[in-house]
Amino acid sequence: MKGFLQYIPGNSILHQLSPITKLALSVLLCACAFLSSSILYISFLLLLVLGLSAMSGIGRSALQIFSLLLKLSLILFLAQIFFIREGDVLVRLPLNLFITDEGLAFAILIALRLMLSALPLALIITVTPMSDLAGAMVQKLRIPYKYAFALTTAIRFIPIFSTEISEIIEAQRARGVNFDTKNIFKKIRLILPLCLPLLVSSIKKTEYIALSAEMRGFALRNRKSGYKSYAFKGRDLIALLAGVFIIAASLLINLP
Amino acid sequence: MIIFDNVSFSYGKTQIIEKISFRVAPGEFVAIVGPNGAGKTTVSKLARGLLRPTSGTVTIDALNTRTTKASKIARTTGFLFQNPDRQICQNTVRDEIAFNLKIQGKSDDETTSRVEELISLFGFDPNASPFRLSRGERQRLALASALSAKPKILILDEPTTGLDYRECMKIMNLIKSENLAGTTVFMICHDMEIVSDFAERILVIADGRLIADGNPDTIFFNKEICAKAALLPPQIAELSQRLGGAYQGIRHVDNLFGAIRKNFKGEATL
Repeated sequence: MKGFLQYIPGNSILHQLSPITKLALSVLLCACAFLSSSILYISFLLLLVLGLSAMSGIGRSALQIFSLLLKLSLILFLAQIFFIREGDVLVRLPLNLFITDEGLAFAILIALRLMLSALPLALIITVTPMSDLAGAMVQKLRIPYKYAFALTTAIRFIPIFSTEISEIIEAQRARGVNFDTKNIFKKIRLILPLCLPLLVSSIKKTEYIALSAEMRGFALRNRKSGYKSYAFKGRDLIALLAGVFIIAASLLINLP
Repeated sequence: MIIFDNVSFSYGKTQIIEKISFRVAPGEFVAIVGPNGAGKTTVSKLARGLLRPTSGTVTIDALNTRTTKASKIARTTGFLFQNPDRQICQNTVRDEIAFNLKIQGKSDDETTSRVEELISLFGFDPNASPFRLSRGERQRLALASALSAKPKILILDEPTTGLDYRECMKIMNLIKSENLAGTTVFMICHDMEIVSDFAERILVIADGRLIADGNPDTIFFNKEICAKAALLPPQIAELSQRLGGAYQGIRHVDNLFGAIRKNFKGEATL
């Protein structure tokens, strides 16, 4: 998972769009996921996002995020498929469990919705430097800097924690802890103590960041402190129009 | 014994280690030196079985790391990371030292007696929180923990980084006494004074290749190797070279004094 949710430099159209346009597009796609009830349309949008990612040189990262979302969606899918009991029964299982056609369709829809709503937001991080995202939110959306900073720092910490937990697991393997066990309860019992070093290192990191932010005049920062400007260009307008078209289509197209 | 037989390792397309071969005999004290990014930590992780070689074979205490679980290797090998905070995961010093023994399934009596032995050897407060200890104390705690199962082999990844001289010497003297008791020590170190004082043999790694293997006298006297691996020889080696190359056996103080006597005359001479 090295490099997971980290910025990947590039010169693609997605990289060149204004951070605010990218945020808006993500929100529009997220809205589409909930406005449309068409499995085909949501699948098409997911493929479109993956295709755009591949064209922008972040295909590998997109697939990494996609596979993680797929696992999460699977949990949601399994929960839904057994709860919906309306419709024609397709498969009967022991313990009075059964899968109906409506249950299957709804479970697929919910799983796809989760993927489409989360994937574009996660991909923004791989095509936008965090400083630009914070800067654009402060300049254009007028969000106070400390909130923008808190948000971007929280996102920035995800890959750091991911690396940290891998290193802690490695250190514990070196001590003889066997994480290869297939017993889920044993695995949880082995992983729980790792929360302690992770928590301690997180608190230390937070303290260091707070201190270095103070030293750099964090409290003095305001909307005009940033030296970069995030102009709205022609390509941003085209991207937003495409987003509006997609959302309109999700309302108008009535696919199964 | 640690055996590297034509070992290569790469992360994706990036080659980190290229065809390294060497043997570390039981009871030896070997230091790995080289510039940052040379692949020293990778070598130590390969030796410990935390990484598996892309090609070649690594054998530690007759266990092939490719086919042996890292947890099994822990029974005979202790590993100390540069950053002790990743190893420490218990609420008290006593529990932290006992952790390795418990996961290896040692009996309660054996665990208690070994923990008490290490607590008195290292001078810890057994009920103190490991997270409230100083950096040096945490490093010593991680070392105590690594030694708890009486390993035959001890692999150390820069054990003295970030420590003051006193803490550094405390750690190194403990490691040396374990080595004198028969434990094989395989240590990565950037401090050439420490390497010169404690190691019997040095492996020099640069750009993922083993460029030299010899005793400290041979390595530090070789200017070409020192330049290639960006090594700054210890001051005593510099002094020896200025005295006319009498570095052979320089760690024996008598030899050094003999060399000084030969080169200087007058009342101020030792």
